[in-house]
Amino acid sequence: MNIFTGLIKGMISAATPILLAALGGSLTYYAGIFNIAMEGMMLSGAFFAMLGSYYFHSWPIGILFAILGAILMALIFILFAVVLKMDEFITGIGLNLFAVGLTTYMLRQIFSVKGAFSDPGIVSIPKVDIPLIKDIPVLGEILSGHNLIVYLTLLATILVSYIVFKTRFGLRLRAAGYNRTCLDTSGVSANKIRIWSLILCGVLCGLAGAYLSLGYVTLFSEGMSAGRGWISLAAVILVSGNPTGIALISLLFGFTDGLGLFLQQSLPSQFTSMVPYLATLIALFVYSMRLKKKLTV
Amino acid sequence: MKRKVLINVVGILLAFLLGALVMILQGYNPLETYFRLFEYSLGSPSKISYTLTKSVPLILTGLSASVAFASGPINLGQPGQFLMGALLATIGGLYIDMPPVLMIPFLLVLAMVGGALWSGVAALCKHFFNMSEFITTLMLNMIADFFTFWAISYPFFEENANYPQTPLIAKNGWMPDWGNFGSSVLVMLIAVAIIWFIMNRTTAGYEWRISGQNSLFSRLGGVNVNKNYILVMLLTGALAGLAGGLVVMSGPHRFIKGLGANYAWDGVMIAMVANSGVILTLLFGFFFGILQTGSLGMELITAVPRELIQVLQAVIVLIVVAGRGYFETLFAAMEAKRKMKERTT
Amino acid sequence: MDDIIEMKQIVKIFPPSLVALDDVSVTFRKGEIHAIVGENGAGKSTLMKILYGMQPADSGEIIYNNKRVNFADPGEAILAGIGMVHQEIMLVPQYTVWENVVLGTEPVSILDHLDSRKARQLVQEKIDEFHFNLDPDAKVEDISIAARQKVEILKLLFRNVSILIMDEPTSVLTPQEIPQLFSELKRLRDNGHTIMFISHHLDEVLELSDRITVLRKGRKIGTINSGEATKAILAQMMVGREVIFESIRKQQSAGEVIFEISGLNYTDSEKRQKLKDVHLQVQAGEIVGIAGVEGNGQLELVNVIMGLIKPQSGTITAQGREISKDSILQKRKRIAFVSQDRANMGACVPATISENAIMTHHRLNGSFTRWAGRVLDNRQIANFTSVIRQKFDVQMSSGEAVFKSLSGGNQQKVILGRELLLDAPFILLDQPTRGLDVGSIEYVHQQIMEMREKNRGMLLISADLEELFRLADRLVVMHRGKVVAELITDQTNITEVGYLMLEGMAYEA
Repeated sequence: MNIFTGLIKGMISAATPILLAALGGSLTYYAGIFNIAMEGMMLSGAFFAMLGSYYFHSWPIGILFAILGAILMALIFILFAVVLKMDEFITGIGLNLFAVGLTTYMLRQIFSVKGAFSDPGIVSIPKVDIPLIKDIPVLGEILSGHNLIVYLTLLATILVSYIVFKTRFGLRLRAAGYNRTCLDTSGVSANKIRIWSLILCGVLCGLAGAYLSLGYVTLFSEGMSAGRGWISLAAVILVSGNPTGIALISLLFGFTDGLGLFLQQSLPSQFTSMVPYLATLIALFVYSMRLKKKLTV
Repeated sequence: MKRKVLINVVGILLAFLLGALVMILQGYNPLETYFRLFEYSLGSPSKISYTLTKSVPLILTGLSASVAFASGPINLGQPGQFLMGALLATIGGLYIDMPPVLMIPFLLVLAMVGGALWSGVAALCKHFFNMSEFITTLMLNMIADFFTFWAISYPFFEENANYPQTPLIAKNGWMPDWGNFGSSVLVMLIAVAIIWFIMNRTTAGYEWRISGQNSLFSRLGGVNVNKNYILVMLLTGALAGLAGGLVVMSGPHRFIKGLGANYAWDGVMIAMVANSGVILTLLFGFFFGILQTGSLGMELITAVPRELIQVLQAVIVLIVVAGRGYFETLFAAMEAKRKMKERTT
Repeated sequence: MDDIIEMKQIVKIFPPSLVALDDVSVTFRKGEIHAIVGENGAGKSTLMKILYGMQPADSGEIIYNNKRVNFADPGEAILAGIGMVHQEIMLVPQYTVWENVVLGTEPVSILDHLDSRKARQLVQEKIDEFHFNLDPDAKVEDISIAARQKVEILKLLFRNVSILIMDEPTSVLTPQEIPQLFSELKRLRDNGHTIMFISHHLDEVLELSDRITVLRKGRKIGTINSGEATKAILAQMMVGREVIFESIRKQQSAGEVIFEISGLNYTDSEKRQKLKDVHLQVQAGEIVGIAGVEGNGQLELVNVIMGLIKPQSGTITAQGREISKDSILQKRKRIAFVSQDRANMGACVPATISENAIMTHHRLNGSFTRWAGRVLDNRQIANFTSVIRQKFDVQMSSGEAVFKSLSGGNQQKVILGRELLLDAPFILLDQPTRGLDVGSIEYVHQQIMEMREKNRGMLLISADLEELFRLADRLVVMHRGKVVAELITDQTNITEVGYLMLEGMAYEA
């Protein structure tokens, strides 16, 4: 496998969790919610995925657990931000901290380890080789052999796009974000729509977490979401929620991640790890400058 | 005033109740566990001193977040500013030596400068490019984490060490300890007093607070909101940096990996539950210090993992803040009803 | 024609003491166009919002089709066949016409797929049925405001409402767009729909409606057939009988010009020109009142003067000095400002009373600070708060109490105290007595008169004509961003000014 295909494969791999979380974020973004809890939902998903896979020796159960775990976080967000009308920002921060504490605690309690838990008993999500395609030179190497979740992510991107732009729910979802009073006076409860968007976000972030602990690597370590939730938030803001745009940006961030790995040959690893975050700053810079221009015209 | 105290206390009690529930479900004895928690952290004067010393970084990073939130800027960069402050103080301690009476203030200033520089980057990005400080401070956290990791692994690496760390800083830069009572507590108390004075007695503090509550009103009143924004970012960065410097100078006396631990995110939590008030930050910071220190003893004796305390902290924050909002709307509704009655009778 | 809706003895009070509707009873007949007229604050919108389920009444009942009803929200009203088109267009700007119309009643096929073809077809059918000239695929943010209004009406007709409430529909239209709206409304009426039409434009009301109900300050003055009404009768019912009330102005000659606006033009981000070549002058010791229906440029004028928005052209001078480029603090040395938006611009509601009182003083008046302006002198500040309390008769517990705890009238007194004590030569007052009870209004007027005697110059913007006639030496009438008249108060009367405000030109008998 030469450098080129390696880089592309690495890019797709790294982009996957960011993309999944960002898709969840885009749903809540369209609904008009200031949702910064993707990090916490992803982390919960990662932990519960590992838990389910280890105890039931099955990765499908792992994925199921991941989704349930993330939905649990989403429900807490709903309780505080939607029902109790608490500030969404504070709720998000509180939730992220709660997720860190909870997963660390449960890691200690259930597995009696600190830092990370890795065990051959954890069943990872398999890679998929696509027949026929895998034999195509170059392209085959890039497209085939990825983890199952990568392909699920592709499906999810298409699905989210479809839901947002082609269904009745999507029409109402975007209306909730654009003008929630209008939606309420049209006879549809904007709150219900927002609740659904948060739950769907939980599903997607749960998948992202499952990929982290059962696909990318096969273990759970404390705080393993490593700021990816924040990067996905940046991605959502930069493209104003558009799923296709999110896919492209996620690939870009994934690329910088992979680029970081590549650059490790010439630069100390700590600098290469910075690359995605620096990239986010640059993207934010471009975004803010464009916005500034628009407002002064 | 009484209402405020009530809301805080009820919130904490509720959270403790939930924690007790979890403990019972897991087969632990909540009463004994809580007893051990407080006994370990407050059981004797020397224990109290120890807890106080451990609370210093919590209170200072909490203060950093509180001042920022109260004045407008959303500075979430305490983790990164903490690390940069710690790093700069360490570097100073490695290359410069002076008698303690000069060295200690010098290193503390370096720590503050380190933190302020880091928050200054975010402030400039907002000022010139209108980049949201929310995201920039968060990204800078991760970048600082990696940067300091690199710094202690290569240029400032201690030869022959098994883990990434710097050599010990000059002895003259070590904060003295008096038994279990660390002198860093003094520095922290002075900082709290100064911040309290600034926020409540100076013109600047007045403008900051009002701008934080209603920036349009301040702007119309003639306040230079933009200049104040930058000042607040610098000051709060300095506070977080100070916390980092103090931890290095009174703890391991060198920069080791994992220095910041969770301190700085705890700072944001403390600011939220303290509703950005200076005195409440001090109190809640100390309270969280009690929880965190006590959790060690709790674990030793009753085997309840100390991570439960992390969860408890987050629950306290969520309940107290939610309760505050809920009670405020409740009280407002009661007020409105009362006035309506007065009118129609 | 039968009665279709009867509203009986409706009372609505906004806490703590604002009586928006005082025992109002109105009956609407099926198939008529019924106008509800009155000035700002008369209660027209509130009455209709109560009918529509947007607000609960404090007492009274509503009979609809001989049944007692009480709609909990607009959704219920719409299901019952009543729909309201609001003054602020409540559509999703980013959506197309058909998306907006079907929102909430969308046709779907399997898996929640939005059947956009069917939706478009249904919407087109409705458009044709009512002869609205609309393109279903146009984005709402791209079409004219008149068209947006039609979309709002269409949306309601799509749900088969038979009763339409229109809240000040002509306020967002250009004069050329109005006739089309009227012919559409008349067509709807001829089709059997009932229309309630809230307005304060006399010509339009007379042309369009069958019957007219007049409200003033929360009370119903009367209902008359439009055939028997004239503009003069309506104007008088709306603004009050021509009472020769005591003007409380003492004779005094005005001094030099201390404030001047010249050639001011402002167009907003939606390309609407809000200020057209405005010229104004205020002399020391005189009060210039700006009369005009809200939304005719007053807000923009205030924001330009204070420096919140930038005009495309024009100059502003205070005491002979061009202040347009000054920082706000510099401006405040010469301008005191009482905003109409008490909560957002005039005060910091969660802060204490003292903290609200010393804003701006803390920078301009050295006696409140020590150490070269760095540290606050709390004793002086407390003194100052006491001074305001005494001078302006503020009912408050202490300066440390939260501003929110004060009643509206007392809040306004604190704000006035702060601004008037700035000793600025020019005072800008925007609706200073809005929402206040009679006693507070008296007090505020007294303070304003005192300032006049102290030779300050004042610009007073008010929607209350009686107040303007009481206080102002000269009147400037604004209509659609232009100054349409400059009058000396003692040489004109309420009816004449009222007419100028509403129509933009002088009344011709």
